[in-house]
Amino acid sequence: MSNKVVEGLYYSQSDEWLKVEKDVATIGISDYAQDQLGDIVYIEEIKIGKSVQKGDVLTTVESVKAVSDVYTPIGGEIVEVNQSLMENPATINKDPYESGWIAKIKMSKPEEINDLMNAADYAQFRKE
Amino acid sequence: MKLIFEKSIPGRDGFSLPSDLFEEIEIDKDIPEDFLDKNKKNLVEVSEVDVIRHFTKLSKLNYGVDDGLYPLGSCTMKYNPRINEKMASLGQFTHAHPLASIKMIQGSLEVMYQLNLLLCEITGMDQYTMAPASGAHGELTGNLIMRQYFVDHGEKRTKMLIPDSAHGTNPASAAMAGFEVIEIKSTSNGTVDLDALQNAMDEHTVGLMLTNPNTVGLYDGGIESIERIIHQKGGLLYYDGANLNASLGIMRPGDVGFDVVHLNLHKTFSTPHGGGGPGAGVIGVKERLIPYLPTPIIDYNANEKYFYLKDNGEKSIGMVRSFWGNFAVLVKTYAWILSLGPEYLYQASKTSIINANYVLKKLKKYYKPAYDQYCGHECTLTGREYKKYNIKTLHIAKRLMDYGIHPPTIYFPHFEPYAEETIMIEPPESESKENLDEFINVMIQISQEAESNPEILLSAPHNTPIGKTDDVLAVTKPILTYDDELRSIEQEK
Amino acid sequence: MRYIPSTEKQQVEMLKDIGVSCFEDLIQNVPKKFRLDKPLNLPPALSELELEEKITNLAKKNTDFYSTKPLIGAGAYRHFIPEAQKSLLQREEFWTCYTPYQPELSQGTLQSMFEFQSFIARLTKMDVIVPSIFDGASATAEAALMALRLTHRNKIIISKLIHPHYLKTIYTYLAPHHIEIIELPCQDGLTQMKQLEQILDESTAALIVQSPNFLGGIENLSQFSEMVHQKKALMIDIIAESMSLGILKAPGDLGVDIVAGNVQSFGMDLNLGGPYNAFLATKKQYIRQIPGRIAGETKDARGNRAFVMTFRAREQDIRREKATSNMCTNHNLNVVAANIYLSLMGTEGIYQYALLNAKMAHYLEKKLLKSGKFEKIFNYPYFNEFLIQYKGEIEELNQILSNHHFLPPLAVYPLIPEKKYENALLFAVTEIFNRNELDHITSILS
Repeated sequence: MSNKVVEGLYYSQSDEWLKVEKDVATIGISDYAQDQLGDIVYIEEIKIGKSVQKGDVLTTVESVKAVSDVYTPIGGEIVEVNQSLMENPATINKDPYESGWIAKIKMSKPEEINDLMNAADYAQFRKE
Repeated sequence: MKLIFEKSIPGRDGFSLPSDLFEEIEIDKDIPEDFLDKNKKNLVEVSEVDVIRHFTKLSKLNYGVDDGLYPLGSCTMKYNPRINEKMASLGQFTHAHPLASIKMIQGSLEVMYQLNLLLCEITGMDQYTMAPASGAHGELTGNLIMRQYFVDHGEKRTKMLIPDSAHGTNPASAAMAGFEVIEIKSTSNGTVDLDALQNAMDEHTVGLMLTNPNTVGLYDGGIESIERIIHQKGGLLYYDGANLNASLGIMRPGDVGFDVVHLNLHKTFSTPHGGGGPGAGVIGVKERLIPYLPTPIIDYNANEKYFYLKDNGEKSIGMVRSFWGNFAVLVKTYAWILSLGPEYLYQASKTSIINANYVLKKLKKYYKPAYDQYCGHECTLTGREYKKYNIKTLHIAKRLMDYGIHPPTIYFPHFEPYAEETIMIEPPESESKENLDEFINVMIQISQEAESNPEILLSAPHNTPIGKTDDVLAVTKPILTYDDELRSIEQEK
Repeated sequence: MRYIPSTEKQQVEMLKDIGVSCFEDLIQNVPKKFRLDKPLNLPPALSELELEEKITNLAKKNTDFYSTKPLIGAGAYRHFIPEAQKSLLQREEFWTCYTPYQPELSQGTLQSMFEFQSFIARLTKMDVIVPSIFDGASATAEAALMALRLTHRNKIIISKLIHPHYLKTIYTYLAPHHIEIIELPCQDGLTQMKQLEQILDESTAALIVQSPNFLGGIENLSQFSEMVHQKKALMIDIIAESMSLGILKAPGDLGVDIVAGNVQSFGMDLNLGGPYNAFLATKKQYIRQIPGRIAGETKDARGNRAFVMTFRAREQDIRREKATSNMCTNHNLNVVAANIYLSLMGTEGIYQYALLNAKMAHYLEKKLLKSGKFEKIFNYPYFNEFLIQYKGEIEELNQILSNHHFLPPLAVYPLIPEKKYENALLFAVTEIFNRNELDHITSILS
């Protein structure tokens, strides 16, 4: 089982990670999540400019034998989407924390990150 | 193997035409040019001999119940008696037009009418509809009946409770009926968590969909409490009949208090699966729900002594399909029940339960059961012990094929922590002890191979018509028709 | 019992091996109060001979349909089925197997699904084919639900001239979902176009039209498609008589987005209405919202071509309540049946048979009109089914035809209770007739 975590990111219980730079948060799914899904074959289109609230479904990722909703751990406006995933969704499997990022959100309530876990806590959470 | 299209030779044909082709009628004078295709639809040009050889060869790539043990859990792959097929293929039945006047179809209607009575007695229900075409279609019908019942009683109920162990069709059907699905966790015994059920059940909840024995093969010992919890709050209890093969002559869902029951005639009642259907998912209800059944229902006019299709009135949910039911499947079911009678129906369930417990007992040392207790007509084992050798349940299943046995159901049920890497085995009554012993020996042998020679499992199957398939490629580079294939070959050039 | 091989002695041994003294120990979890203490109240088991006699006698209570050729269609058509198809369908490998979840042991079923998809793609000129939904009615309802998901809109416009059972089924399926359903009336045997302009708007998910429609009329699908697409709604075409595809333009050439087609005519007996089979067809971009199983081509570990069920993540066993449908068991054996039928018929056979159907229907209509006992109701283009007014008593006509071993045409009034249909008859003519019979029918009715 694969369960790599990256220091400095925030993590949700539903296995999304969040990288915060100023007021923009980049969202992806964790190594654990991609491993559970297996070979990812499809990611549903995300609309730029849409505003979302914490807990909304951001997109859906699909492997051959599973489907998983990706929830946004933070509210705000979607400002950028990783278009390359539409062509090559398997990038999420290969590199979940870097080139496999999914979308960037301009946060409306940055304090929402306080509800998320740090790397050590998340590693512990998924170990249990 | 070649596709039929790759055997096409211009000028060949596999059909015959009458001599009189009504040449004098000029159809392009009657049908406007705009509606007529200028070209013939390009299909294929092969002879009858080509077709016979092609499909005979194709058939040999399949594995059926007649080829040997087919222990798919929750699928009840039992022997399909030949006489049933013959009865369903009688010309008076097969050529009966569904809209012929009822006096012309008295025989067919009588079969459906009598079958209803037999199924009511077997399950303790009051009336069946023969309309639903499959288990899931029955589930949708049943959910719509429950919905209509509450609409009619002026109650707003929007939630449906479904155990986490349920078949995927349960939540999917409830969602199609417009209900919000609330998942009820199972306990460590594999049965419904009564506290969770009590907490979830309220006046806005339609009721509970339950399979019993449940999908891990266990009778729910808490069934009395379940019934009380649901009915106390005015809810309805739905019985998923996928596992009825454990209950014939032993327990009737109607006596337990189930309000709606679906039966998979292609499971318990021996009609063939046909590579995925057709089956039939007839729905039985208690008296208070009869007005909501789909229209029509088959009735008998005792005064004038004839069977007829009765409009089920204004409260009915309407129609769920065209015409009256999968009639050919109903005839086979009728024939099976009459062949077994009360004594052998009971024997069928009894034997399937003994079979499953026998397999469980003999294999539990090698494949840890999800729940260590006696099972119903199927048992749930796991391949957990072999994870340390990098072996997953999938590999065990594929290796079984090398021994000429169809794998059991794998990865279902799936919920953590009890049911992972599951292998669900259902050996129905038509399997002899010798067949089971052979299966058990092969399973033990595979468990030893997993330790001593895991590579042979990882690379299995070895002697099947094809090897392990690339399921990812099938989605990322979809080829769904022969023309897709031709285009992809073109692109590669 | 011949279907239960284990003997009583063996069962005793097995119980001993399990470690219990009697069978009842295994069903402890069935509360005692619910355990049946006496046998079910059913007739005693019949021997095979007794069973055969009993059911054969029941069958004899039906009219001898084998020698009664139907002049009725209305969604169920008797066509000729070549013996080669019937014979191949007897192969147990096709009918005693399960859904092809294990591709290594199911290539026969999977390749057959793929070939059928390929045939239907060529007949309809659509990209993605789901080979099996139960029947035309359920496929139509599924098509409507699919359009609602694709457009996120909440209004469906339906032609009144789709099969009445299909129409009822749509209402049943959509009842829980707060959908506005508007019916388009009939004008001269075709779906009225004028009113559509007023109803079509930005909340319309789809227009559903059947062609040939329930009364036989061939609809102007391309014009409907054009109107529907202007509002970015979807065009759904229903086909109840698939034989028509042999000569009529393909829906894919007429701007249709989703096709639901009953393929009973491709090699399935009437069987009092089931089991039949229907396909769903759509464009590539809509594949993730289509319900039902699809076969796809891929490669196996040995590098050879192989077939699997694909785009599985849409299905209920993976996506549960979020699945595109609850479809599980379908009518896959009927897919094999239709596939063999289409292979035998081929390019020329389907064309010739469809053409012959149309010619014979038009021949009979002309003859009946000439007899003076019948009158035209509509002046519309039709394929092999036409509506005609009978000047005499329908009861009498039914009697005459039955006496001469013909199944009478459909009196549509009970299904569409409108005054103008009081004496209207819907005739269906297929290749099972010949000129002598059609002449004979005309003469006994004149």
